[in-house]
Amino acid sequence: MALIRAIIKHPILSGLLAVTIGGIVVLTLIVAFLDQIKWVLSDQFWFSNILSLAIFGGIMTAVAYCILLERKISAWIQDRYGPNRVGPLGLLQPLADGVKLLLKEDITPGHVDKALFVLAPFMMFVVALIGFAVVPWGGTFRWPWMDADATPLVAQVASIDIAVIYLLAVGSMGVYGVVLGGWASNNKYAFYGAMRAAAQMISYEIPLGLVVLTAVITVGYLLPVDHAMDCLRLEGAVAAQAPHAASWTMWVVFYHPVAALLMFIAALAEANRAPFDLAEAEQELIGGFHTEYSAMKWAMFFLGEYAHMITSSAFMVCLFWGGYHLPYCTWLSTDESALAMLCRIGVIGAKIAIFIGAYMVVRWSLPRFRFDQLMRLAWKSLVPMGLVILAAQVLIVYYGWPQWISIVVNLGVLVLAAIASLTNAMPISGRQQSLLIKEKAAREKEYELQHAGV
Amino acid sequence: MDRPGLALIVGLIIFIIAGICMALVALVIGKFLRTSLPHPEKDAAYECGEPTIGNSWVQFDLRFYVVALVFLIFDIEMALFYPWAVVYKDAGIAGLWDMLFFFAVLVVGFAYLWKFGYLDWVRATHGQRPSNRKISADDAMGRAARGWQ
Repeated sequence: MALIRAIIKHPILSGLLAVTIGGIVVLTLIVAFLDQIKWVLSDQFWFSNILSLAIFGGIMTAVAYCILLERKISAWIQDRYGPNRVGPLGLLQPLADGVKLLLKEDITPGHVDKALFVLAPFMMFVVALIGFAVVPWGGTFRWPWMDADATPLVAQVASIDIAVIYLLAVGSMGVYGVVLGGWASNNKYAFYGAMRAAAQMISYEIPLGLVVLTAVITVGYLLPVDHAMDCLRLEGAVAAQAPHAASWTMWVVFYHPVAALLMFIAALAEANRAPFDLAEAEQELIGGFHTEYSAMKWAMFFLGEYAHMITSSAFMVCLFWGGYHLPYCTWLSTDESALAMLCRIGVIGAKIAIFIGAYMVVRWSLPRFRFDQLMRLAWKSLVPMGLVILAAQVLIVYYGWPQWISIVVNLGVLVLAAIASLTNAMPISGRQQSLLIKEKAAREKEYELQHAGV
Repeated sequence: MDRPGLALIVGLIIFIIAGICMALVALVIGKFLRTSLPHPEKDAAYECGEPTIGNSWVQFDLRFYVVALVFLIFDIEMALFYPWAVVYKDAGIAGLWDMLFFFAVLVVGFAYLWKFGYLDWVRATHGQRPSNRKISADDAMGRAARGWQ
């Protein structure tokens, strides 16, 4: 009796006990009803629906734990402990946060535009979430009970012909959430934040679109001729990067390393993450566009931001980093068993997790941009680089030039950009720039007056 | 649902509807749980405790508008490029160079924006720009005559 009480009181053992009992119950239920659910799982329509439920659950959990991970990483970087009070190692912190946000008073101030005020967080959250529909999680597979010649299932919620455009469109709709929220708040800080966010997100969408287009053209080149039309599908992009007998360097990132870097930068800016979080900039704008929000509506902005991070990581992984493929693992890429499908989900999940870790380390180690630097980076560095890489890739694919030229172009563009940024001394601030201009004007005036008098 | 392809497209619609429902549930469920203690102070705009002056729905800087216009042009360029990128290998030499000509026109526009400073966030105002500061000879002579030099 004392032993049982001790186990229940122990934080880790009680958790393990609960998981074990829950697991046994769920497994028993699955085995008992396996015959009943077999046909449901074997039908693509029902399988897609079950998968979408699993994805919603998984993503919400992942988002909650991303926030915990972010706090842990920030604590690690700043030499603190981070959350460690709720549950073992602070692992129940997301649960406590959720309960708090659910129970907190939801204030809608009197001066706001009521409809848009509610619509904004809703929109931010929904558009971040629905992007997951087209991500290829596990490729094609068959359950062990299915016939060997049956049509294999696709471990993906939806497969549309224009998945790449869909993801770009859904991603750029995130700007509506921010702008509507800032506008509806009728608060000057929120309004400035929203304006900044709008200018920033639309500016970084251009380089994002350019490098995605480059990747799409490369995928069209890598795919076999009869499947070349699949290059706008994400599963087509992943299939093009499968390990090959001739070479393992089939990932698009090996052809376009700099384009992959540009996409990472643009995705950071699209998700409004530091060093591009000028829309929030708590030192200048309190909280930016979400100053007037509280409770669940406030939480939705953050859930949306983190979900957007996961979506854009998945997008990057599928386009540039080989999706669920690993070099040399042909079993992983071609096998159609359920086990291989689970392994593929694990691989793509691990790749996404690596990108999220990179996002977080970047956030806590780089200072924030100033707004003119932000716009200059987008329009004067990323867009020209993207344009050159895109034009080069178009010509390389059309004329069948060897692909190493694209690597040379990529690195050349990077070197040129570095040289340009080092030789072209930019003024430190806008104020300094205008002072320099005034000084120069004064000198000119003096010169002209001297010569006029002669 | 015979064809898996159709099932996969229907899956998208169901996914979107499920996502919307999920957001609605998250917004609505709290209504039954949370407290509500209205207070006039809570209704006020939060601007660091300073009394709010006027409305925030005011005119804003024109530069945001310029950025939006430039974005619009480039976004349309990309929207045209995507379908072309799928098929251009079969479209022949005309298909390639037509699009590259279009691309070049946009690059010229981009160079124009760059040259005339529309991509600079911090810009010299009209009067500060050196080219607008040419003092006419008469003016200079007049100043010289008045002994300013």
